[in-house]
Amino acid sequence: MDEDILTTLKILIIGESGVGKSSLLLRFTEDNFDPEQTLTIGVDFKTKRLSVDGNTVKLAIWDTAGQERFRTLTPSYYRDAQGAILVYDVSNYNTFSKLETWLNELEIYSTKRNIIKMVVGNKIDVEQREVTREQGLQFARRHQTLFIEASAKTRDGVQSAFEELVHKIIQTPGLWETYRDGNIHVNDKDHPQKSGCSSYCSLA
Amino acid sequence: MDYELPTEFDIIIVGTGIVESILSAAASRIGKTVLHIDSQDYYGGFWASFNLEQIDKLCERNRNANIDLASDVQLNEGERLIKIGNNNFDLKNASQKWNIPEKLESKNIENVDGDKCDSTENEADNGVGVEEVWTQEKLLQDSRKFNIDIAPKLQFARGDFVELLISSNIARYSEYRSVSRVLTWLNGELEVVPCSRSDVFSNPKVSVIEKRMLMKLLSACMDSEENEFKASRSGTDFVVYKMFASLCYCNGFNVDEVVPWGQNWKNYSNIKTQNYENKTFHAYLKDKKLTDNVIHYVLYAIAMSTIDTPCSEGVENIKRFLNSLGRFGKTPFLYSMYGSGELSQAFCRLSAVFGGVYALNQNLGGFIFDAENKFKGLVCGKQVIRASNLVMGIEKSPEDFVKSVEVSYISRGIFITNGSVRDSEKEHLTLLFYPLKGGKQLCNVIELGTLTGTCPKGIYIVHMFTKQINTPKEDLEECVSKLFQSEKEDSDVKDARPQVLWSFYYSAPDTNTANLRKDAPENAFLCPGPDCDLDIDFSIKKAKEIFNSMYPDVEFLPRAPDPEEIIIGDDSDEQDREKDVEGKAEELKQEQVEETEIDKNAQGDVK
Repeated sequence: MDEDILTTLKILIIGESGVGKSSLLLRFTEDNFDPEQTLTIGVDFKTKRLSVDGNTVKLAIWDTAGQERFRTLTPSYYRDAQGAILVYDVSNYNTFSKLETWLNELEIYSTKRNIIKMVVGNKIDVEQREVTREQGLQFARRHQTLFIEASAKTRDGVQSAFEELVHKIIQTPGLWETYRDGNIHVNDKDHPQKSGCSSYCSLA
Repeated sequence: MDYELPTEFDIIIVGTGIVESILSAAASRIGKTVLHIDSQDYYGGFWASFNLEQIDKLCERNRNANIDLASDVQLNEGERLIKIGNNNFDLKNASQKWNIPEKLESKNIENVDGDKCDSTENEADNGVGVEEVWTQEKLLQDSRKFNIDIAPKLQFARGDFVELLISSNIARYSEYRSVSRVLTWLNGELEVVPCSRSDVFSNPKVSVIEKRMLMKLLSACMDSEENEFKASRSGTDFVVYKMFASLCYCNGFNVDEVVPWGQNWKNYSNIKTQNYENKTFHAYLKDKKLTDNVIHYVLYAIAMSTIDTPCSEGVENIKRFLNSLGRFGKTPFLYSMYGSGELSQAFCRLSAVFGGVYALNQNLGGFIFDAENKFKGLVCGKQVIRASNLVMGIEKSPEDFVKSVEVSYISRGIFITNGSVRDSEKEHLTLLFYPLKGGKQLCNVIELGTLTGTCPKGIYIVHMFTKQINTPKEDLEECVSKLFQSEKEDSDVKDARPQVLWSFYYSAPDTNTANLRKDAPENAFLCPGPDCDLDIDFSIKKAKEIFNSMYPDVEFLPRAPDPEEIIIGDDSDEQDREKDVEGKAEELKQEQVEETEIDKNAQGDVK
């Protein structure tokens, strides 16, 4: 584990199919954009270090793996996330009107009461807008979320979206410092055996 | 419902139980196109976990609500439609009961059902040990903090399941907690089964030299175990000896005194034992002239056996127990955070990552079979979706394919309590083996606290299950009456045992040992539901078997790449991504009708 990393945060990206969730993820983590990006396949989550306010955090940003198409994201996808990015497409009003449903999903499944939410209006490079900036902002105010407009294609707003989210998470007491002691990841190669010789393991 | 699913797949999987989900992941992983679909709106089927409100309504749910036979669907010549689902494998005998008032009346606290509760003021006066007063309302307000398994499972730290999680790299989707103590019911009390070396070492009665001697001895045993075990008779002695050595050690005895034949451990292949092939493990232990307490620990806890368990099985169980010690935590067992329902979701996630298409809460109008009784596809809403293989949970099978499957049942009880069965400073995750009926049957008890993410603070969930003989309530009565306060409160004597706030009894079908191939068509595969085992290794074996019949000679769940190993949008760097996965993306793109036409709102929420 790198010592200079303050913490690892789990960030979710949710929203309707085709709003550019994976594109935002790719733009942010790899500064890459694939105009041919089809349906999400093979994208699980990506990690990236980010420095905000002098603190370096490691982000694990989870993509939906296409399971949002028929609204079949598993409850376990939402577990223990500290932040969520809710994406809509400013050129498709329908994706905006579905945000409410996504907020509701978050409400049901997120295990952290004070999870930080960021609403992102994507694809502002597209000329035909169906959702104004004002509408997006109003929605965000009403639901007390952060808000930004962005374009994964042109890079606009992408970095800020993640930075602001992380900034807010770090400022929120009790959201990320609490580590549930004793949880086990079975694939941890160097699993900490804090209790020392707890059994016969060294015998084998 | 104007959404469209693609209409061609390699394999359609109906039901999201653990076996189905493993198969979904395994098939997607090797590049097969998978449709994973369910009429239910939640993941897990008979393996799911529910919050308090949902489980409340579990019995009211009609499992086959969305599975009426479709009409006016265009089929090919010779094809026929068969109704999905059967009623042979349902939860039965469900009975649910609250033992606490619905809510607290403001001043005048009513006695509900003549039971319980005007204790608030008294305790406030005493000022000590102010106990939380629970009401139904209060618990239901926290409903979402509950994840109540209908098939609770533990995993052996070195069992097939954990190994599969690691080798397939699916481990990243779930977290676990270690069972922190194993208990047994001995001489009318709950006793801790010594199973960690720290237990051994903390024993002041044993000198340092003895400790070294014994650990050396045990090491030698472990090292030679694999070879020696093959010679089954001597292996029996050997494994058991190893067990005793540690037990004696814990209790400060000299192992050579307790197990006289043990000193021959170097030459145990020379030990002349009777042939125990047709005898019980209990008989074997008896013959070894061990003390009753030692026999109890070994038989009922470490060997997870009864007095009727065959010798070989008892030995096999001990071996599993010992092998899984020392990997994570103090006992051999792990429990998945947020409940056993998470297990199938991890596999579903991997399947999705590799292109598996997920659709729950679907209107399934029937399976399509041709004149040769070969599976052709299924009807979903108005769509006909075709595939070359069908995998389904046993409860989704048409009646005809399961007509000769024998069903035994598991008696299950779930209890919400206000304290642990054995109070302690820190919160424990407890596994208790309770011998029923004078040791003829074993009742598994798992107690979960809030650290497992399955219940609110101050509350425990206790799962009990055993093979069904009578009704669940009758089968579990013996254990329930020992662990919990009796429902008829005796005001004179303060009962320190936890109170059952809510109880839920039901019978669950156990189909793991049944032959599920007998009446099923050649390209349709049935997946068993949860069994009575603590772990799910048997289910994994079944999943592997089905996978191998469908795709012989293909690797089962090879390691999935880490996120860092996958590079998207850069064609020059493809070695870690399978080519066929790429191809699949293209296919899907063509098949998928215009995104804009898809009205996901019609899907309803996944709960």
